[in-house]
Amino acid sequence: MVHISDGVLSFPVVAFGWVLSFIIIGVTLWWSEKHGDIAEQIPKLSVITAAFFVASLIHIPLGFTSVHLMLNGIVGVILGILSFPAIFTGVSLQAFLFQHGGVTTIGINTVILGIPALISYGIFKTGVKRLPFRNKIESLFGGISGGFAVIISVVFLVFSFMLTGEELTTPASLIAIGHIPIMIIEGLVAVSIVAFLLKVKPELLPVKGGGKNE
Amino acid sequence: MNKLNWLSILILLLILAMSLTHTVSAHRVHVESQINEIQIKSWYGGGESIEKADVKVYTIENGKEEIYIEGTTDEDGAYNFSPKMGVSEYRVVVKSDGHRGDKTINLSDTGLPEQNNEDPIYTKIISGFGYLAGLAGAGMLYMNWKRYNKGEEKNN
Repeated sequence: MVHISDGVLSFPVVAFGWVLSFIIIGVTLWWSEKHGDIAEQIPKLSVITAAFFVASLIHIPLGFTSVHLMLNGIVGVILGILSFPAIFTGVSLQAFLFQHGGVTTIGINTVILGIPALISYGIFKTGVKRLPFRNKIESLFGGISGGFAVIISVVFLVFSFMLTGEELTTPASLIAIGHIPIMIIEGLVAVSIVAFLLKVKPELLPVKGGGKNE
Repeated sequence: MNKLNWLSILILLLILAMSLTHTVSAHRVHVESQINEIQIKSWYGGGESIEKADVKVYTIENGKEEIYIEGTTDEDGAYNFSPKMGVSEYRVVVKSDGHRGDKTINLSDTGLPEQNNEDPIYTKIISGFGYLAGLAGAGMLYMNWKRYNKGEEKNN
């Protein structure tokens, strides 16, 4: 699920995916270079990308469909706007090494997973900024962002199928239901990662007192 | 008496011989081979079989593809179909929620099916980590080079 293979989507949708992902990669790289130092982020970037790259191998069979972990929300929370280029790298590696999703669809798959990551980051950042309590609320927002990204990805996925006019084997509602466990798992994973990082290395998180990539 | 004995033995043998031989009619004999069923199997990378995937089988005759049969895979990711008489080439497309794979089958290709040369998954994971480490290194090199250049500019 979520990773779309070659030859499923129509050409305009595939082309749109590539164009949009390249634009966003350009903008995010330019923005983070302007507002911070990418070089400092590189170790964090590669470790989180590695986790994202492997996460898709963890399948959860549900009978009617098979879902796997995505981790895009957590990638968004930890990497901020650099999550988009990181997800592009991860999706490319998944396509070439695992044949997970097609090579021509790297663009659209990056959009499907990367934009929700950016949205998660937005939710996490505004949520943490607005609310007075520290630590607990940050982990909570990490969890919400982690889970929310999954749902947005599924919406994008269904939408890209609708644009092509391709019929899905499993109805959209079932796909959404199938991703509820993934959403919960990723939410919990995000809560624990954020709570852990706050204790051990808060500067890894893009929040006040933390990282510089704000 | 002796003559009669010989005759009766001869008749008995004749009857036996006749009862043992089959009737052979002088027609031309046709032999056609038929493979009754082709089984295809579909699975995701990592080995999990694809259940209830849409299968479309196309016949390929003189390079022309035509839809032949459609169906869905069972819980083991398998799907069986009987080939069309006289057609030896087929293309099978398996689709499931955005996942898609296809394979061309040629029945006239004798010999064993292709060996599965896929690398085990852990080697792929390790190579992925390798690529990432390489990318990170290249990125750091680039950043350092940029910083160094900037420093030189300032010095001048």
